[in-house]
Amino acid sequence: MDFPEPIRLLAFLLGMMAFVAVNAAYLVWAERKGAGRFQRRPGPTEVGWAGLLQPVADGIKLISKQVIVPPGADPILFRVAPLLVMAPAMMTLAVIPFSETLVGRDINVGLVFVFAFGAINVMAIMMGGWASRNKYAIISAARVVSQDVAYEIPMLLVVITLLMVTGTMNLNEIVQQQAGWFWHWNLFRLDVNPLMPVTFIIFFICMLAETNRAPFDMAEAESELVAGAFTEYAGMGFGVFFMAEYANIVVGCSLATVLFLGGWQSPFGVGSGVIWFLLKMYALVFTVIWVRWTFPRTQFYSLLNLSWKILIPISMVTLVLTCILLKLT
Amino acid sequence: MVARDKLNLLKDKFGPAILRADLPADDRLFVYIEPVVVRDVCRYMFGDMDARYIISIGADDRPFSGKFMVAHNFAFDPEKLLVSVLVHVPADNPKLDSISGVVPAANWAEREIRDMVGVEFEGHCYPKRLVLPDGWPDGVHPLRKDFAWNEVPKDFDDEREFKFDEPPAGCTVVPFGPFHPTLDEPAHFRLYVEGEMVRGCEYRGFMVHRGIEKLAESVLTYNDIPMMAERICGICGCVHNVAYAQAVESAAAIKPPPRAEYLRTVMLEIERLHSHLLWVGLACHIVGFDTLFMQSFRIREPIMWIAEKISGNRKTYGLCLIGGVRCDITPEMRTELRAVLDKLEAEWRPVVAAVLKDKNIQKRTRGIGVADKAACKRSGLIGPVARAAGVDIDCRRDHPYAVYDRVRFNVITDDGGDVWSRVVVRAKEVFEAIEIIRQCLDKMEPGPIQLDIKDELPIGRLGLSSVEAPRGESHHFVITGENNRPRRWRVRAPTYQNLQGVPAMIKDQQLADMTISLGSIDPCFSCTDRLETIDLKSGATKVWTQEELLKLVRAKKA
Repeated sequence: MDFPEPIRLLAFLLGMMAFVAVNAAYLVWAERKGAGRFQRRPGPTEVGWAGLLQPVADGIKLISKQVIVPPGADPILFRVAPLLVMAPAMMTLAVIPFSETLVGRDINVGLVFVFAFGAINVMAIMMGGWASRNKYAIISAARVVSQDVAYEIPMLLVVITLLMVTGTMNLNEIVQQQAGWFWHWNLFRLDVNPLMPVTFIIFFICMLAETNRAPFDMAEAESELVAGAFTEYAGMGFGVFFMAEYANIVVGCSLATVLFLGGWQSPFGVGSGVIWFLLKMYALVFTVIWVRWTFPRTQFYSLLNLSWKILIPISMVTLVLTCILLKLT
Repeated sequence: MVARDKLNLLKDKFGPAILRADLPADDRLFVYIEPVVVRDVCRYMFGDMDARYIISIGADDRPFSGKFMVAHNFAFDPEKLLVSVLVHVPADNPKLDSISGVVPAANWAEREIRDMVGVEFEGHCYPKRLVLPDGWPDGVHPLRKDFAWNEVPKDFDDEREFKFDEPPAGCTVVPFGPFHPTLDEPAHFRLYVEGEMVRGCEYRGFMVHRGIEKLAESVLTYNDIPMMAERICGICGCVHNVAYAQAVESAAAIKPPPRAEYLRTVMLEIERLHSHLLWVGLACHIVGFDTLFMQSFRIREPIMWIAEKISGNRKTYGLCLIGGVRCDITPEMRTELRAVLDKLEAEWRPVVAAVLKDKNIQKRTRGIGVADKAACKRSGLIGPVARAAGVDIDCRRDHPYAVYDRVRFNVITDDGGDVWSRVVVRAKEVFEAIEIIRQCLDKMEPGPIQLDIKDELPIGRLGLSSVEAPRGESHHFVITGENNRPRRWRVRAPTYQNLQGVPAMIKDQQLADMTISLGSIDPCFSCTDRLETIDLKSGATKVWTQEELLKLVRAKKA
């Protein structure tokens, strides 16, 4: 498949957007269906077979709603925030290798690229909260910022640990290093760091916190802050924030798959391909949904305590341990 | 002889200031006293005699005695006695010493009397409008007899703003309600917040007054009122229905047939079952744990079906009339009810076991919203809130009504005084309620369910009734009257007292704990708001004015 570069890029861009949109829409369906099963009820059943058209109905409803900009809100920031929260999620997917060839831009600083754009998400939510001129939204914005500062640190420490093992920031190369049977995956590289599974769990927890998912959904804790930073958003403005949450979950789970679970590599050493990538990623997405319906929401201060007092020290330990073991071998 | 002992104590202490007393039964005492000693008598009863404050009632007694009347009700729980201290206030100068200084729990009740009847309480600690809507003119008191039930004061001012207090220095005001996802009913808290810490609050509620008490004493008749009383609350309506009927029965010395009393007990406990399950669900929703919310609602559902089968309605059973009940439990229903109870018990047991072991829920609720024994006494807190603080009170045992003196049950207490203890108390009370219903079904004998009352009810008698609602003691006070309707009927829903304990519970806590602290008293604002007209205020971007809305309503009616 040798297309000229601009056409290939365009095709990828459209593909990415479609992928994100379909995922966002149907992860909502999956979440509602899953939540229903966890709670011994059927979930959506009315629109389409097994409620499969529910996301379409929701989309139509949200689009048909009036977009209300509250008086006193910052008109520019208020409108830009939903776009800024959605765009980075799509951008980061461009460097994620879905298979050996199926990757938007195979760049050498892929990992840095993902984290650089991932951080914009936080800023966008803060902008939305700030621009809404609503006390709930501002409290929520402040929470989002302190939460993400707290969780960015252990996450990056974990990633540095991993970088020392891989020696490259090119995501495709990281996947290729994990070829072969599943014990070659970074998750099971106990020779370089016996704490590798712990490292993965820290990464996963931080990812939950960064995407503002329950039990860390302080930003939109509806029993305290109505809808947090999104309180003043109506119609599709809110819809975009909602979709972005799921888009970010997809990005986070993709990254976890690439870094720890061998990306598109088959666990048996043969038959690698995009199917394995999707399988692993959706298994992680399911875990994210599972966690949400299993744990009650934590309090904000115990959330910060968890990061500063437990996660950061542990990730420091894994970092140092990896240093020592790499030096020894 | 308890009532006479207490009366003698008062007589020894205050002598001639005790004008007269009425002891209709050994568990009721009505004492008429001179206005000048009201504060001393209340201090003596609340402090030295360690009575529990229930409520104060104001009534316009001018057509009958030429004076206003104020009653302060107290309970002696261990001695199974309810006491009403009555004072007549001169009509031309309606002023009385406030007891809010010696009985802090009387704060709201006195403000309400000031709003509704127009008796001024001298020395009140916070004499601010409580019940009447913002635009209501000063000096117009809707519960006076010369004020018609359907009257709107001419100078009602839509534009008048309520004056809130200034927040303390360094604090920001965060509004909580009237519309908030975790408030099922409207109430407005102005939280004074410093960072994420709550430093204080001001409460402005009573937004859904429906003029129920005024209607009762001017339009309805004795047997209409139970249906109206039931609509005071959407969750514990049957409680008000029974409490009202019992208050009238106690005033008129009517004893309903035994089977009716068993049926009342069964329905009250069915209501407790569904209410506690509902509360556990809502509390879980508030702390962000929707899975248990769904579970408890699923477990609760069969109770609603069986209630519908017995009474015709999932809620609002329309159970009581004066002297009996309206619906019976057939043998088929009895079998079915037993099956429902067995299923419910089997399903609820593992849930309770799981919740009591769950570290996450404990972490989230321990040490939150604390109200200790002293706070319960001070604010008059009752029901599961008091029992969670180790205050061993339960009207079913302390002031037995219906057949609670003929069944065995335990009063569940805990000693934490926090939200977690309230969860524990309510979760365990479910099993007691199941046991009570089973015993009633065993002991119920066939017989009439309604007394044949041939005479008119006597006039000017006083009746008290305390019923243990799922949320605490629901207290009704009735003065019987002419035209087949009571002269005055006062309802004190449990939330009325429990809500007054909330400011102390949430002070110096995280904002995030506000909702569960409030939720833990199982607030029922509609219960609390019974009295007068609707307050509609939509703030800066006003779409509908009150006048337009009223016009709309009236046009639809016509």
